[in-house]
Amino acid sequence: MKKLLIAMSLIIGATPVLSADIDGSVESRCTVATTVPGIYGNPNAYTLTTLPASAGQVPVIRFDTTLANAYYAQITYPTSFSSSPSLSDNVTWTGEVTLKAHGESGMSGYQAASTTTGAMRSYPLSVAGSAWFQSTSVAVYGGNRAFPGGAYKAVVLAECVAQ
Amino acid sequence: MRGSIGLCLLLLSGAVLSHEMTPTYPKWEISGVDDVKKTTMRLWNSREDVRYYEIGLFSDDWKPIPFVTAYRILPVGYLKEVKFDVYITENNIKRARYICSLSKLRSSNESQTLLATRICSKFK
Repeated sequence: MKKLLIAMSLIIGATPVLSADIDGSVESRCTVATTVPGIYGNPNAYTLTTLPASAGQVPVIRFDTTLANAYYAQITYPTSFSSSPSLSDNVTWTGEVTLKAHGESGMSGYQAASTTTGAMRSYPLSVAGSAWFQSTSVAVYGGNRAFPGGAYKAVVLAECVAQ
Repeated sequence: MRGSIGLCLLLLSGAVLSHEMTPTYPKWEISGVDDVKKTTMRLWNSREDVRYYEIGLFSDDWKPIPFVTAYRILPVGYLKEVKFDVYITENNIKRARYICSLSKLRSSNESQTLLATRICSKFK
């Protein structure tokens, strides 16, 4: 009887042991973030440029990916104004997209591995992590004529396209 | 050195102005309507300057594919996540390759380069 009582008290008093699994997986994703906005400087009457030497600011875009080889980063510099005063002459556009910084050592070859199609440069994001890209833009008004006064806007397109 | 620059940029960037869409590789599912399939996407907006995203469906060669969704121009508040369904007829499924969300930009009075962001998921 005594043994039975001891056994029962052990069973009742025992702390139940429950196992709680924590499952998880890393989902492939890409985040595109504006790190530095672009601003046009106006070094002379017929030029708008994002170059800092001309009081401009080069836009910087950050791409974050969680898995390697899942996305392409594609950045296109502007080839037209999205809004501007009325222009009667042609505008000559130039620009350059470059890797500005990277968070992982394996990203150092991104620029060499990139390809261009017109104004767009495509980077295979072969390493997970963060990479910063910049896109310069220069617009020169036809025949070196002065740009009419007003606000000028152009769009840099930053795309993350699944591979 | 470059890693240090990257870290500095990350720390100095302040507000994160980003756009994200998942899943990367969506799948078509039964919709409840004959000959129509659907997929559900998730869009996250932390771009303070963007309130709307345009949804598009494209083929391998980036030709538009007909689809139906509640809003083609989808309102997404700042720091909000929106789930949306995209419906397609079965005869267009094989051609559909990319589903994309493109930020719609607002105008301002400053001479600047605006940044449009587009994220495209892929049907494999």
